[in-house]
Amino acid sequence: MSYKPTLTRTWWLKHRFFMLYMLREGTVLPLVFLLCSLSAGAFALQSVEQFASWQRFMANPWVVAIHTVALIAALYHAFTFFKLFPRVMPIRVGTKLVPPAIMVVGQWLAVVAVITVFLWLFVFSGAAHGIVAGPGGGV
Amino acid sequence: MQQHEFDIIVVGGGGAGLRAAIAAAEAGAKAGSNKAKPLNIAMLSKVYPMRSHTVAAEGGAAAVTRPDDTVEAHFDDTVAGGDWLAEQGVVDYFVRHAYQELVQMEHWGCPWSRKPNGDVQVRRFGGMKTERTWFAADKTGFHMLHTLFQTSLKYPSIQRFDEYFVLDLLVSVQQQVQGVLALEISTGELHMLYANAVIMATGGAGRVFRFNTNGGIVTGDGMAIAYRHGVPLRDMEFVQYHPTGLPGSGILITEACRGEGGLLVNKDGYRYLQDYGLGPETPLGKPENKYMELGPRDKLSQAFWHEQKAGRTGKHHGSDVVYLDLRHLGKAYLYERLPFICELAKAYVDVDPVHELIPIRPAVHYTMGGIETDAHCETTLKGLFAAGECASVGLHGANRLGSNSLTELLVFGRLAGEQAAARALQKGVKVTGLEQESQKLHKKWQTKLHKLTDTSQEARSWVPIKRELVATMETGCGIYRDEQGLQQALDSVRRLQAEFQHVRVGDNSKAYNTDLLHCLELEFSLDVAEAICLAALERRESRGAHQRLDADCTERNDAEFLRHSQVFYVPGKAAKLKWQAVDTHISAPGERLYGSAGSAHAGAAAEVQREPTEFEQKQRGKKEGSSDGGE
Amino acid sequence: MAANKGMQQALVRVKRYLPEEQQKTQSEPFWQEFTVPFDESTSVLDALNFIKEELDPSLSFRWSCRMAICGSCGFMLNGIPKLGCKEFLRNYSVRTSPAQKNTATNTSITASLTVEPLAHFTVERDLIVNMDEFLIHLEAVKPYLIAETSTQKQLQPSLQTPAQLAKYKQFANCINCGLCYSACPQFCLNPEFLGPAAIALAQRYNLDSRDTGKAVRMPMLNSHNGVWSCTFVGFCSDVCPKQVDPAAAVNQGKVESAKSMLIQMFKGSTAHEL
Repeated sequence: MSYKPTLTRTWWLKHRFFMLYMLREGTVLPLVFLLCSLSAGAFALQSVEQFASWQRFMANPWVVAIHTVALIAALYHAFTFFKLFPRVMPIRVGTKLVPPAIMVVGQWLAVVAVITVFLWLFVFSGAAHGIVAGPGGGV
Repeated sequence: MQQHEFDIIVVGGGGAGLRAAIAAAEAGAKAGSNKAKPLNIAMLSKVYPMRSHTVAAEGGAAAVTRPDDTVEAHFDDTVAGGDWLAEQGVVDYFVRHAYQELVQMEHWGCPWSRKPNGDVQVRRFGGMKTERTWFAADKTGFHMLHTLFQTSLKYPSIQRFDEYFVLDLLVSVQQQVQGVLALEISTGELHMLYANAVIMATGGAGRVFRFNTNGGIVTGDGMAIAYRHGVPLRDMEFVQYHPTGLPGSGILITEACRGEGGLLVNKDGYRYLQDYGLGPETPLGKPENKYMELGPRDKLSQAFWHEQKAGRTGKHHGSDVVYLDLRHLGKAYLYERLPFICELAKAYVDVDPVHELIPIRPAVHYTMGGIETDAHCETTLKGLFAAGECASVGLHGANRLGSNSLTELLVFGRLAGEQAAARALQKGVKVTGLEQESQKLHKKWQTKLHKLTDTSQEARSWVPIKRELVATMETGCGIYRDEQGLQQALDSVRRLQAEFQHVRVGDNSKAYNTDLLHCLELEFSLDVAEAICLAALERRESRGAHQRLDADCTERNDAEFLRHSQVFYVPGKAAKLKWQAVDTHISAPGERLYGSAGSAHAGAAAEVQREPTEFEQKQRGKKEGSSDGGE
Repeated sequence: MAANKGMQQALVRVKRYLPEEQQKTQSEPFWQEFTVPFDESTSVLDALNFIKEELDPSLSFRWSCRMAICGSCGFMLNGIPKLGCKEFLRNYSVRTSPAQKNTATNTSITASLTVEPLAHFTVERDLIVNMDEFLIHLEAVKPYLIAETSTQKQLQPSLQTPAQLAKYKQFANCINCGLCYSACPQFCLNPEFLGPAAIALAQRYNLDSRDTGKAVRMPMLNSHNGVWSCTFVGFCSDVCPKQVDPAAAVNQGKVESAKSMLIQMFKGSTAHEL
């Protein structure tokens, strides 16, 4: 004689830890939307009309809003992943562990570096060389 | 009733039981290669093996390791530490086999702390002349227990019966052990397990006392079971008070704190141990073996008692305490060597040892005595073996040195396992009438359990009896004892034994009836307590952990008491006591000295000359005239 | 522990289950409330022992060392897995409202908590769960040192530097209390999942410089019920009373598993080509 409680549908609402976990898992949704948008953009390169229509779509405030959410979601996911990384790939110097904080900061520096490269490539230098001539391309 | 047949039964799943089971399994595998089948081993434990109290041992395990150390030195420390009441042949065997057992643990994966070059690290310990204590930070017992448990999983011939509470031994009319009767805790069913060899490895009985370092399961069950079958309990008066337990809970603060350089101070910040034959004061950060804080446990606990009497102890939530100072060791070192101590101090007395003093006081820790065995771990009852804290193989004498017991459970656990295997493989053990004996035993316990759980009778709780027992033992069998107190304690225990006959458990359910379980444990504890009181009363001298205050008893008296006490169970009557000769064939009894007195005695280099303290003068005054053979 | 002056009162709600009683009456587990005196030093375990000795002897639970090393007394306290001996009633204080006045003793309730058996295990009675469900997984990962030692080497310890020890030491600190399993929703959904402690123990031996058994353990970790059942909720590490960080072990296991599967693939294809 014994009993075994089962997991209820709302188990993840019972603790902040589980809610944050579900939030992290949920970050996939806006990211899927973003990827669909980008795929549509690639497809739209076939003709000027299609591209213009895609540009109008991308300028829609709702789409901008969802993409902003996607950015925040990606950053949040990165935040959780970066925190995990030093535990999964611990780096030791002798018996001493490289402090996780240093590894986390290192990863964020890498993110900043990537963003900087992209900004330079597509925004600043692009504007200077006239490669990108869209609205907001200049400073 | 379910019945099972085995070759060997191990009762207890702690360090000694696991080591014994592995040794028996290995012996069986060897035998199995040239005989028909390997040995089948049953291991019964009232808790899952990794819950056994070995888990709480902290400091380490001793074995001669350094090139400048010798087995003779370990022998001398152990024999003198035990105030010459140890069986010297046994100690000799122990010190010679200690190292190999610790190496075996290393090969099984025990995470011993290491030196930078990868060698095993050793630390100082009380009463030991040289650093010889192997350790795994300050959780040595935990790591040893888990290593042994996990290693035991390799052996398919070991069948575990987790959460089976052994109630009794099955003994044939020819006075040979033939098995055990056990209660399956999850169902309340009785099981009879048959085997030609049974190993008791059930641990100590520290929970007989109110204030102790032991887990709730340390209730002396195995001791009482063997005792009820006529096996003597030996040297039961020697109960070790560990000098450093946390006030309130009694949680153990390891001797390794002092081995690493920790200091003991009274409420005035004074290192009082120098007044009790352990000085002179050693400089901060330079602990010296067998000096001051590295004296033996009995002497340190006794020093606390004197400080308390003199009003030089502090208060912590109503308890009298002295203080352990680890601050000078620094955070990094403390976290490396004593992380568990830092955790315990923070959780249980809200003290950060990096910055604050830890309040501590002596607490009952270890029973030196136990089920009497010969040097091969066999008891007077054929086929019954015992090892570990429940046994009295004769290693510790009147006082155990810290870090000898973890090694003991390996050395003698292994020996008991091998001896039991040899017994199990022996042919031609003629046993008759076993069926009948088995039926009788089953019937007896069925009736008894039925009576205890009879709800038609008014429930009478075991709880008040337990409370009175532990308080009685604390008052009567403390660090210092006297005739009147001991007699009162013995009378009280006997009265409580009688009262126990009227106990009725309110819970008559079968599954996990922990009320019944604790009640049965208490009955075992009562028998063990009687043996402790009787032996303590009859030993009218002071030796090691047994110190008497009454006139003519304040000194060691080799002429009359260089003997083991043996307490025998008499069914339905008061227990009987006998005396047994001690094996002193290697080292004649000498004066037991520590600090500079010990060094001077050993002919060591000149020590700082100073005036003896009042206490020392008194002690020396006493010692004049006492027999002194010298080493 | 007796009720002294100056003691506060705590309301302790305990989830009860008496298998024999409830089989008879076909009833469900039930809640029972107890008022327990406490002070600064009273642990949840002390409170349970007070209930057992003073109020209701039929309450069953496991305990032994009372110093957070034996791993017996894991319970859900206010829904979170914790060790009863390492949690104190003082940390469950509540603001007193007139409604909570204890009429019998005319004292106020200043702390309150619920105690339930560890989640995700089968409950056998009251606060006692089936720990065999845990041990089966522990045993499955071959948690012992696998190494060939020559007869000569058997006489001396092997060398292991502090750096080599540090690689696995943290994972060797698991006390098998099972709290991490109660924190793991994946274990509840799939009881066959090896789970945090077992994988941490496998990782403990895989990382030991003296061990050569990784190849024997990896198939278990690679399997569906091995590391890949983990979705990195991470709560296991949060509740671990010994800072073992089983989530790290499991995710290190994922890296190892990916590596070993790649090596398998590579080996397989080379074998095919030959």
